[in-house]
Amino acid sequence: MEDAEIIDLYWARDQRAIDETHGKYGGFLTNIAWNILRSHGDAEECVNDTYLRTWNAIPPARPSAFRAWLGRIVRNLSLDRWKQSRAARRGGDGMEVLLGELDDCVPAPHGTEKALEDQEIASLISDFLRRQTVENRIIFLRRYWYGQSVADIAAELRCGEGKVKSSLFRTRRALRSYLEQEEVLL
Amino acid sequence: MRAERLFRILGLVDESLIEEAVSASSPAAVQRRHPWGRLLAAAACLAVICGGVFLTSTFRMGGSTGEADGGAMPGESGDGHNGSTTFMSYAGPVFPLTTAETVTGLTAERTVTWDFAPGTYQDGSPRQWGAQVTDDYVLTNPTEADVTVTALYAFAGSLADLGTIAPAAAVGGAGVEATLYAGPYAGGFRDAGVDDGSTWNLAPPASWEDYAALLENGGYLSQALGAAPVLDIPVTVYRFSDFQAPHEEYDAATQAVEFTIDPEQTTILSYGFNGLSLDDETGWRRYDYFVPDGMRAESELKLLVVLGEDIGDYTLQGYANGACEEAIGGVTCTVTRQEATLDAVLTELCQAELHGSSQSSQWPGLDQLPLPLYQRAVAESLLASGLLADTPADRYTDGRLDDFLWDVLVQERVLYLAFPVTVPAGGSVTVSASLWKEPSYDYGCSGSENVGLQGYDLVTALGSTLDFTGQTAALVNTDTIEIVRQNLGFDLENGVTEVALDLAEPRCYLEIRPLDG
Repeated sequence: MEDAEIIDLYWARDQRAIDETHGKYGGFLTNIAWNILRSHGDAEECVNDTYLRTWNAIPPARPSAFRAWLGRIVRNLSLDRWKQSRAARRGGDGMEVLLGELDDCVPAPHGTEKALEDQEIASLISDFLRRQTVENRIIFLRRYWYGQSVADIAAELRCGEGKVKSSLFRTRRALRSYLEQEEVLL
Repeated sequence: MRAERLFRILGLVDESLIEEAVSASSPAAVQRRHPWGRLLAAAACLAVICGGVFLTSTFRMGGSTGEADGGAMPGESGDGHNGSTTFMSYAGPVFPLTTAETVTGLTAERTVTWDFAPGTYQDGSPRQWGAQVTDDYVLTNPTEADVTVTALYAFAGSLADLGTIAPAAAVGGAGVEATLYAGPYAGGFRDAGVDDGSTWNLAPPASWEDYAALLENGGYLSQALGAAPVLDIPVTVYRFSDFQAPHEEYDAATQAVEFTIDPEQTTILSYGFNGLSLDDETGWRRYDYFVPDGMRAESELKLLVVLGEDIGDYTLQGYANGACEEAIGGVTCTVTRQEATLDAVLTELCQAELHGSSQSSQWPGLDQLPLPLYQRAVAESLLASGLLADTPADRYTDGRLDDFLWDVLVQERVLYLAFPVTVPAGGSVTVSASLWKEPSYDYGCSGSENVGLQGYDLVTALGSTLDFTGQTAALVNTDTIEIVRQNLGFDLENGVTEVALDLAEPRCYLEIRPLDG
């Protein structure tokens, strides 16, 4: 079923919308949640919460890129869940490593930075990513948007882990430099 | 936590970028043969040639050092000249047989056959990707004395791809053991998207003209067959081992080592380190790595290689993560200092790359790549574009050998199979090379109108010493393809699958589309 048809089901308050969403994107969403949480039970709950959020959000929302839209929800829910589980000291080590890597991208404070809204910073980062090679930005987003492991990225893109790691290393460093140039405060 | 905010912000990046990332995948790997047995023999031969001298990173990176006339920008698709397409990923042409001897007196008839029988993919489904190429020659000796030559069969590709692209050579219908030679990186470097003259990205050959520029004057082949560089430069090696960290408490525990150098007197190469911070004005350096925990697939081989003046005093500090901001206790290691030569260090690291890393599971046969071949390529690249070059590429100025060693494996180059051929007086001998040829293509995620096209190039005389009296091109197993563009004259609808080539045409092209795609 096309995304627009699934969204129409939500608008019609037809519960088949959730079945169709699950059938089409359940695996995709579970993978994101698993990448962040490393817990099947927690991942499943986050995916179910994603369907509930979607049900409550559409209408009035009519997302133009449904998959990415769903991904954002499950990503944020999973991050929240991860923080809870970390507080309870269980699981979540994959995310800890991932955030440790992202620390490389955090610009060093110099005192002149601008306090920007998240969406403005995201736009800047989008601009930055468009200036990277296609390969580098795909690897970067697979790691830090989808939370995929380096090994999984390498396997799916048919390249070595060293290639993925070096690409991530360079893009993180370049992003940090870019955010510092743009005087972005995180 | 700022990284956490950044993670959330990344969730808001443009949807088109997200779609691009999730949609991207490289073409599924075709199950192919791995002709390593022949190459092992080649490794032994090469070691002898090198006279015992110690020899010293989906996804292709799109790019070009000289696009075809009217071609696209590096990594972009577009219309090439003569009606062919400039692909984002260029696989290189099929080259003609040549010889090590510049004058042979031999004449040659050539027949190149592309076999488009579908391969079997990892998921078990048969699909069209690439072609099995058979490049047949009849060498004729019109003289009254036997002629023995060293035949050289050139093919384009990377060391990492050898497991799938290396040709099988035969003389008189019998397979021969061939010696493998590798020329230097065939591409160049380019900026990172801002036209500033920098050299951060690889720019592989993007057209047949790029290969023509390399091979026309014979210098490239001479280098490939010549002696390997010697890197017996004294170095001081700091080796990190016996890693300890409170992993229960810190999943990304990090060990950092700090020191100050005079950049004019000291050059640092690193291996196994994840981060580098530096201050060029003061000479301060901080290298750091995630402390191995036995779970992450991180190398446990961690070296700092000092060229020139030694680093002197250094300090070690543990941190909670790679940001190196929250100092923690309980992070320890053993540091041993030793003196060695650069080539000895590179030998160890090349072996680690081939045998000790997780790469081999991703690249069939990588662990069987002849070490001398790899070491030689590393040494040549260090001198040409690494930190030993007069003007190192920006890409390598951080001295991170992990990246460098991997680049050498994946950089496009021209490789040569060498084997002896004797043609009797007044007689003829058949020589054949059979290889799987990856096509040129546009990335599936690019949105290019050429997605799905497969390009195949053939050059008729480039780099060859042979006197060709005729060349023929043929296609077999064409049921699953359609021809989209060509300058060869095939007509599948009317059964024309064999054509004589115009020897005045230096390059022939064929672009096909699988009918199931």
